[in-house]
Amino acid sequence: MALLEVEELRVAFGAATAVDGVSFSVEEGKIVGLVGESGCGKSVTSLAVMGLLPKGRGGRRSKAPQPVQAAAAEPAPGAVKATAAAPQAVPAGGGRRRGGGAYVSGRAVFDGTDLLTLAPAAMRRRRGRDLAMVFQDPLSSLNPVVPIGRQITEVLERHRGLKGAKANQEAANLLDRVGIPDPTRRLKEYPHQLSGGMRQRVLIAIAVACAPRLLIADEPTTALDVTIQAQILELLKDLVDHEGTALLMITHDLGVVAGMCDEVNVLYSGRVVESAPVRELFARPTHPYTIGLLGSIPKLDLPIHEPLTPIRGSIADVIRWKDGCAFAPRCDRVAEACVSGEPALVGSPHAHRCVLAEEVA
Amino acid sequence: MSTEPRDEAVQDQAPQDQAVQDHAPQGEPAVEPEVADAEVPAQRAEEPAAPAARPVLLEVEDLKVHFPIRRGVVVERTVGHVRAVDGVSLSVPQGGTFGLVGESGCGKTTFGRAVLRLEEPTAGRVTLGGDDVTALGGERLRKFRSRMQMVFQDPLGSLNPRHNVDMLLSEPLKVHGVGSKAERRKLAVETLDAVGLPKSVLERFPHEFSGGQRQRLGIARALMLRPDLIVCDEPVSALDVSIQAQVMNLLDELQDEFGLTYLVIAHDLAVVRHLSDRVGVMYLGKLVEEADSESIYEHPRHPYTKALLSAVPQPDPEKEATRERIILKGDLPSPANPPSGCRFRTRCPWAEDICAEVEPEWREAASGHKVACHFDL
Repeated sequence: MALLEVEELRVAFGAATAVDGVSFSVEEGKIVGLVGESGCGKSVTSLAVMGLLPKGRGGRRSKAPQPVQAAAAEPAPGAVKATAAAPQAVPAGGGRRRGGGAYVSGRAVFDGTDLLTLAPAAMRRRRGRDLAMVFQDPLSSLNPVVPIGRQITEVLERHRGLKGAKANQEAANLLDRVGIPDPTRRLKEYPHQLSGGMRQRVLIAIAVACAPRLLIADEPTTALDVTIQAQILELLKDLVDHEGTALLMITHDLGVVAGMCDEVNVLYSGRVVESAPVRELFARPTHPYTIGLLGSIPKLDLPIHEPLTPIRGSIADVIRWKDGCAFAPRCDRVAEACVSGEPALVGSPHAHRCVLAEEVA
Repeated sequence: MSTEPRDEAVQDQAPQDQAVQDHAPQGEPAVEPEVADAEVPAQRAEEPAAPAARPVLLEVEDLKVHFPIRRGVVVERTVGHVRAVDGVSLSVPQGGTFGLVGESGCGKTTFGRAVLRLEEPTAGRVTLGGDDVTALGGERLRKFRSRMQMVFQDPLGSLNPRHNVDMLLSEPLKVHGVGSKAERRKLAVETLDAVGLPKSVLERFPHEFSGGQRQRLGIARALMLRPDLIVCDEPVSALDVSIQAQVMNLLDELQDEFGLTYLVIAHDLAVVRHLSDRVGVMYLGKLVEEADSESIYEHPRHPYTKALLSAVPQPDPEKEATRERIILKGDLPSPANPPSGCRFRTRCPWAEDICAEVEPEWREAASGHKVACHFDL
């Protein structure tokens, strides 16, 4: 069984559904990509798995499946497996007033435990130890007024019980491992004294401090220059190869996906529209959105000045999944079948959510 | 669409649309030869010209921008300079596109701003269509600005949130005293049409648009005065992939329609390659390599360019598996105290003793291909 198994994950903020029934799994020693553009729900998915979303009333799934979306705007029962999320009773008012709270449902089974049902204290014990996260912007994820050494030893104290000189020694080892020269001196420095690449290394050092079994990296290189990006990606790959860490890679960059991931899930408007092993996805992209994304990227090996084939419109042009394919308003191949009912995710291991695409093997 | 050097291809001449180019400084110069080339897809009927055949519009000679580093509370002393741009020369032909690539902190944005006199150059000369931009001042400079405009990276941050589209687009015309209110509005509608936005958006405000639409507005504003030169600073890096392609295609189309000359500044090598005829690679305030876009990507000669190109992840798992990566060590050194000799030597995998002692000269390694490196790599 996979280390992390996410099933029918749904996250709604008031009336807005950010994640609309996402399922995927991550195995040990594998890199799985969640790809999509802004607003597709990829970051919210990772935050939900980490239990880092602000809680809305009734958000956590308890024993009896509760109504998920307070405003019941987009109930959209699961397309693949119609799970227990079926009863869509409208809750007794007021959900919307709590503004900012997230309503999470579905399952995120990590090593046999559903993370979404864990009490906050139990989740805190696991977070940082069993599963850890690297964020996009290292400057705002590090505390600006605390030396980086202290920010690393904090994790070591909490989860591994290391204190004082021992903790400092281990922190220096970690910095050394992520390729920061002169680690003992660096421990006393503050985040602003480090370059962007260094800061990202510090974040990775913190994330791997307890040798987590699952690492979630949310756009880990987007804020970095290409030469630094190459260094960081190499470092993450090393961790997976040598420690057997499972890596969930969240990115918009299909180049990064091609070079890093074993499996890819393409997200659009809160749902997986295509999912396949990496080579398969790039060799035979099936969903028009995936095809469109690949056609939009300028490539270094195409003839110069060949016009790109962009996807028309913008992500604002969307219809609700229960009424049809959310991508239909931007799709060139759109037909009647696309806007009459929910498209299901079909096929395995190469799955797609397009009613027009031929069955893929 | 921009221009492209294809020396070996057959070229015949087709007149360029100059209708809207009312500020053209050099009369009616550019002719656009068509290229018959098997590689070029059919929809690109009009292949552009070899830039060398066109008159130079923008000429930059040994431009330097140094920022003083000041210390002291009561009495400020200058204790050094950050050499953001430290002697860059380049020229862009009428209707051409020059792409400037480099990583953050290399001085590419400062260079673009100094060309437009948004930053005061410390030394050097910038001429636009023969007029010395660096010698202008006061009212003459202000008037001159109608010929050179800028498109910024962050479309939301560069549009006044309390101005509607009509006000945003009319403002440059008002500042330069162009037309009556009705004429300005007419021009705004025409320009909106050119960037692919309907007339109905005139009364709307920036926050009502998506990122891609905002960038279209930013481009429309830059177009309002029908400038000769547009400096595009990271025009697509804030946009989603599918929208990037729309905006890049738009920039190409507008170049044809309005006879624009672009200076494109970006960190993304694939974006620059796609938009530009000539590409310059900047490192720590200096150009390290300059060539037409085809040869710089096919035969990079400077170690930094090689490393940059090898670091770009390609959306193709087969190629990714075999891609030879040159991973550079360390970070960019401080531009306040650049390394002796060759600035890149501290990170260069091929560095030798000579690199620390002698600064490599800016030499022409092949026809039209300039590089600053001691070695022929």
